Amino acid sequence: MPGRPLPVADDLSASFWAAAAEHRLVIARCFRCNELTHPPDVVCPHCHHTDPQFRFEPVSGSGTVCSWTVLHQSFLPGFDDDLPLLLVDVRLDEGDVRLIGRLLGGADAALRAGSRVTVTFEDLAPGVAIPAFALVPEA
Amino acid sequence: MTFKRDAVAVAGYAQSPIVRHFDRTLGAVALDTAKQAITDAGLRVDQIDGFTSSALFPTAGAHAMQDGVSMVTSNWLAEHLGVNPTYVSGFQGVGQLPGSVMLAVNAIASGAATHVLVHRALHNPAGSYHGNPMQEASGSNQWTAPQGFFGPLAMIGMTYNEYLQRYGACRESMAAVLVEARKNGARIPWSYWHDRPLTADEYLAAPLVSEPICRYDADIPVDGVACFVLTSAERARDLPNKPVYVRGFGMGAPTRRRLPLHWPLDDLYEVGTETARRLWTTSGLGPGDLDVPQLYDGFSPFVYFWLEVLGLCPVGEAHRLVKDGGIDSDSRTGLPVLSGGGALGNGRMHGVPQMLECYLQLSGRAGERQREKATVGLACHSSPHFGGAIVYGADV
Repeated sequence: MPGRPLPVADDLSASFWAAAAEHRLVIARCFRCNELTHPPDVVCPHCHHTDPQFRFEPVSGSGTVCSWTVLHQSFLPGFDDDLPLLLVDVRLDEGDVRLIGRLLGGADAALRAGSRVTVTFEDLAPGVAIPAFALVPEA
Repeated sequence: MTFKRDAVAVAGYAQSPIVRHFDRTLGAVALDTAKQAITDAGLRVDQIDGFTSSALFPTAGAHAMQDGVSMVTSNWLAEHLGVNPTYVSGFQGVGQLPGSVMLAVNAIASGAATHVLVHRALHNPAGSYHGNPMQEASGSNQWTAPQGFFGPLAMIGMTYNEYLQRYGACRESMAAVLVEARKNGARIPWSYWHDRPLTADEYLAAPLVSEPICRYDADIPVDGVACFVLTSAERARDLPNKPVYVRGFGMGAPTRRRLPLHWPLDDLYEVGTETARRLWTTSGLGPGDLDVPQLYDGFSPFVYFWLEVLGLCPVGEAHRLVKDGGIDSDSRTGLPVLSGGGALGNGRMHGVPQMLECYLQLSGRAGERQREKATVGLACHSSPHFGGAIVYGADV
């Protein structure tokens, strides 16, 4: 049985995946305009500097759910046993940085736009982990 | 910037049947369809000196991209028609059909070509359309595929749910869109869904794929080819068919960096609103002037998004409009936004049903489906923030 696809690090993403493997979420910050960007690009999408020298800085991992979808069918290998699978679109507290990942803890979670989540990680293979999210219980 | 309205016209067309799988190769059907369109326009093959298109095969799967088999480029078509054209161009962006039409308009208006063939050839491969055996997610896929966010159904599920949550809408309202598209598609002889309307109950009973998207919210993959012949308005008036002019256009794309296939609702409205403004600026018209507004519906939520950015209803209100019968093309008060059946009522023809309905209605060639007043049309393609639309006009 083929497993789930694994991320392949490249020159732009190596720092991100190295941190993820240690269960740390880091986001690229442009040295020139100081804005955060995800995913990192060859050019800073904010100031358009062609040598942004991104620093990968730790972020809180806290954010707000903007939307979600529940997959009942996957077009990729390795997910069938996890269906239905809940994916959340999260805006991090640090700014207009959006991440998409699984919401761990079941597809029937009581979600609403504005639900608070925090980052967690799925370990996919030795040395490979990817960001996911967990609901923060409402006070 | 002043757009030259009505300088270029559609002079003729042809379309193949829309079926699940051709019993011939896509290229062979494309060649026959191209010849039919050229004849329909009252021209000979040797008079066609321009070719524009998008050859995109819109699959997330690992299918081979083979020219003449799974997709057809303009270069392939010209070569196999035995033509050495003065101008050939392929459109790279999203909103492939309006983009290809604008390449033709520019070629004709500049004098780079005289008669231009615009085509679109869509292929439905054997096996799963979007299924992909990927084990290594590299490039842009590395950011989302390992999580399972992959392919256009997950993409639109996320955007559609953001709409439902923000505006308090429910899945049930969308049944009116599917019923309308399939009602009109059922009346069209070339449609995959000919004679097969859909009820609201059938729609709501369909399996969910990427909740809140169900199977019927996506157009069905098909084999099909459409060709249009464009020329100058002046020359078109001497050809057999009533000319349908390109009166205005709008295109747009977001500049904000996002994850692949991530279409936040705010991006969609922001860029889509600008696309609509460009339509009205170039055409000198407004939403109230459209007799045949054909909205793109490759995924059903696009109908809501286009209704709202075009100003055919207030933002956040499209779900109420459709539920209340507001897009019933048989009603005197309904907006006929899916009168041509759209993609949901024809099959995955990527903007062709919208353009074809504008052409047929405005040229007076819609037969039994001919609408009484049809002098201004709008053909949209893709999402309002990543696509384009063309305003068509006819002589009154």
